[in-house]
Amino acid sequence: MSLLDVKEATIRFGGLVAVNKVSFKIEPGMLFGLIGPNGAGKTTLFNLVTGMYTPTSGQILFKDRQISGTPCNKIAALGVCRTFQNIRLFPALSVLENVVVAGFLRHKTGLLSALAYLPPAIKETEALKKEAMELLKVLDLDSVANLRSADLPYGKQRRIEIARAMATRPDLLLLDEPAAGMNPQEKEDLRETVRKIRDEHGLTVLVIEHDMRFVMNLCEHIVVLDHGEEIASGPPDKIRSDPKVIAAYLGEAV
Amino acid sequence: MNDYQQRLIVLAGLYVTLSVSLNLINGITGQFSIGHAAFYQIGAYATGYLSIHYIQAFAPKVGGDVPWLLLMIVVGAIAAAIAGLLVGLPSLRLRGDYLAIVTLGFGEIVRIVVQNNDALGGSYALANIPRIQPIWVSLLLAVVCIAVCRNLLKTARGQTYLAVREDEVAAAAMGVNITGVKVTAFMIGSAFAGAAGAVLAHYEGVVTPQTFTMDVSFIILTMVVLGGNGSITGSVFAALFLFYLPEYLRDLKSPDGSALIISGGAVLAGLLAVGFGVAVIRWALNNAKLARGTRVAAYFGSVVVAVPIFFIARVGIHLIPTMATTQVQAGQLRMVIFAVSLIAIMLIRPQGIFAHHEFSWTWVRKLFGKPGVPTEIAA
Amino acid sequence: MDLAPHLLAAVDFRTLPEQFTNGLFLGSIYALIALGYTMVYGILKLINFAHGDVYMLGAYMAFFVSEWLGFGPGSNKQHSNLWNLALMLIASMVLCAVVGVIIERFAYRPLRSHPRIASLITAIGVSLFLEYGGALYLPNSPPPNINELVNPYRGSWDISIVGPGKKFVQAEKDTVAQLDQTKAAYDAYMNAHPDASEFDLPPDGNALRQAYLAARDKHSDAARAMSSSGVSIHLIFGDLIIFGTSVLLMGILTYLVMFTRAGRAMRAVSHDFDSAALMGVNVDQIVMFTFIIGSALAGAGAMMQATFKGTALTTFFGFVPGVKAFVAAVLGGIGNIPGAVLGGLLMGVSETTMYWLGYGRYADAIAFVILIVVLLFRPGGLLGSAKMEKV
Repeated sequence: MSLLDVKEATIRFGGLVAVNKVSFKIEPGMLFGLIGPNGAGKTTLFNLVTGMYTPTSGQILFKDRQISGTPCNKIAALGVCRTFQNIRLFPALSVLENVVVAGFLRHKTGLLSALAYLPPAIKETEALKKEAMELLKVLDLDSVANLRSADLPYGKQRRIEIARAMATRPDLLLLDEPAAGMNPQEKEDLRETVRKIRDEHGLTVLVIEHDMRFVMNLCEHIVVLDHGEEIASGPPDKIRSDPKVIAAYLGEAV
Repeated sequence: MNDYQQRLIVLAGLYVTLSVSLNLINGITGQFSIGHAAFYQIGAYATGYLSIHYIQAFAPKVGGDVPWLLLMIVVGAIAAAIAGLLVGLPSLRLRGDYLAIVTLGFGEIVRIVVQNNDALGGSYALANIPRIQPIWVSLLLAVVCIAVCRNLLKTARGQTYLAVREDEVAAAAMGVNITGVKVTAFMIGSAFAGAAGAVLAHYEGVVTPQTFTMDVSFIILTMVVLGGNGSITGSVFAALFLFYLPEYLRDLKSPDGSALIISGGAVLAGLLAVGFGVAVIRWALNNAKLARGTRVAAYFGSVVVAVPIFFIARVGIHLIPTMATTQVQAGQLRMVIFAVSLIAIMLIRPQGIFAHHEFSWTWVRKLFGKPGVPTEIAA
Repeated sequence: MDLAPHLLAAVDFRTLPEQFTNGLFLGSIYALIALGYTMVYGILKLINFAHGDVYMLGAYMAFFVSEWLGFGPGSNKQHSNLWNLALMLIASMVLCAVVGVIIERFAYRPLRSHPRIASLITAIGVSLFLEYGGALYLPNSPPPNINELVNPYRGSWDISIVGPGKKFVQAEKDTVAQLDQTKAAYDAYMNAHPDASEFDLPPDGNALRQAYLAARDKHSDAARAMSSSGVSIHLIFGDLIIFGTSVLLMGILTYLVMFTRAGRAMRAVSHDFDSAALMGVNVDQIVMFTFIIGSALAGAGAMMQATFKGTALTTFFGFVPGVKAFVAAVLGGIGNIPGAVLGGLLMGVSETTMYWLGYGRYADAIAFVILIVVLLFRPGGLLGSAKMEKV
């Protein structure tokens, strides 16, 4: 059973077809890459998978279950979570609180328990905070846990987004341009982190990126989009030398 | 303590409840409800009506007047919460300013329907509500409201409410049921307003539609905005301040013991002075937003500018004959003060006086020079 | 609320055309105010809560000018002319424009970079300030009216659409003969007895008097039945002036928006504020221009309402028309100029229809119901469109 099975997913906005009959499968444990020139429809595809848009036609199956048309938060509960291309943290909340919010997805206590500040709610909150701290340690953010998330530099904010998405305990993690704005050393660290996430935490990762080297060195399987259509699919070596890909965009030297 | 002072305390408690409950909807969850008086009214009228007709029969069964009042408080809360659900559910997908207008419209519809319903006293009053008047009920309600909100915020669940306020799209992507959160906040907030209405009805013995006009919604809104959208502490302080200030003014006596009368010219001069003061603060904040000290200097500077302007302006304006003779009673200034506060706080510090902050013991320690207790992790 | 099953039995369909035209006249004032709301929303995406109160100030200005012209409340001055009205109109429009610009400059502009809620809250504050602050200085109780003598055009027309039924005409004619006869007999008797008091007549005189009175009553009943058997519209000159002036002003507005450079800039800013600024449009000036026009139109509406309809002025009287005009703007599609006009007319007609149906008590509530229905089911309004948020 593939983890994610996208079958001819299509979405139109008025007359514009942003994503046109795109199909691919992601197997559990894969490091999967999604690349293409600007405007190719990559983020739109993410939005389709995470439930922000509903496909005009085609199907999206997660663990063999139809998820197109399901609301965002339910899809997150099923095990798909994402980061955002334009960082969307909760600005007034601290780093720790950002992650705790995402962890709440797996909560068990009820509203009354929270309103009356009963022991179950207190315990659960403490447990969520502890788990959040552990995740922050994985991403090397534990030292800034109590700082306001909006006050931190861009690179740290990107990592916070990843920690937050991981807090929902997803099976599939979608990273939207996680390396944007990072210097080469930071990118190397990020690559290591993503591999670690996959190896030690058992997540499957789908990455959108512009940096070809980053993607080629990280991902095991890559799909290339151009103008909403899939133009190539395969392991990095095959993509690297595919003439259609080279024609579609002359990316950075690989 | 006489009746009048007692009443002030009860009303103050009710306004604190109203303000904190509106803050839950507006400040904590980031929605924008400006028709809060509607839920206040629903609680008051529903329980007032029930008490008039059924208290004789049922109060003894629950153990007397005060237990009956407590029961009515719960009933009022439930009635208002249902109304909150009815308003909230369809409206919550509307954008901020549209949602505001819908809540305002709903408030007016409630008021007009009640006004035209003779069983509820029509446009006159629902009178002869049995008076059950222990002061502690109002204060207890306020404390419960504050406690519930504070409890919520201390749990992870409460953080999700803040997340909905901060960025609801991101919150949804992280698995938060944003519609559920919004509707719940709406219902809890309106429930407390309904409870406050029940207390009001049984304290006064009479409720009229005039008690629940849009102005009341605006007064509550001003309290939340002034105190700080999202700050429970701020809502409490602002509610008490904005409630007592007009009462204090109303009580001011001129030296001969009659109600204090201010000249129209003095009011105008005062407004001018405030205007200049605000302008000074804005100029300072725009041009030197650096250290804390600059802000304090700006506020100080505005007072230094405003006071002489007041006196000079008053002399000048009194040269116009009508201005010198128009008389204004201190009590009439109440709404003007609210209006000016609202405008001034939005121009100077839109996030409110307390902004997002809450009172915490760490502050008090800092005031006394002791270091704050480190929370969780050392930075 | 009595939902009588015989709902429409009380309704007289023959008054429908008149109610409809009254609705249009009422709606034209709503349209003038709604234009202010819609233009400001189009440009700044701000609901100018204080617009209804600017309207109120326009009415007061008209009142003060009418006083200055000698037509104060107790006055008996007989001759007014068009120039008086024109002066009042211009004074109201200018005052409102000035107030609008001041509000924009000092209350809204500082908050342009903040979330829109902040401006809405400030607008609420300004509205309360104008209402309660105004109450300190402006005559409020008893609420003054503009003396109707300042309006030289006080007549009315009756336009008959369908003439009175033949039966009724005949019935009326029949009673005339009887009336003449009994009146003649009675008059003759009274002339013959000059000292008799009509309230204390001897039996024979009294019989004549009673006969005359009975005939007179029968005649007036017949006459009334005759006149209400037809369908006619009663047009008051004042209403026609309101409608005509509104149309004229809207025409000028259309010219300004469609055919001048400033108008083009306004349309650009309302499409995309930032891009327009980057294209070299002086947005501050355009915003000011928008407020000037919107407020002036409201001022015109206020002057006409106060002068021709004789509404009593309090500092709170602008609120309800303001809300209705806002609903009109939303109904037509907020940000959409023809929409505001359409919405205004629809609101006017729906309000008079409520009165016509006998639900006048709920005439104000209907505005809110329409508002909620539109916002829930078609937020873009009748002439507007919906948009999608991009992530």
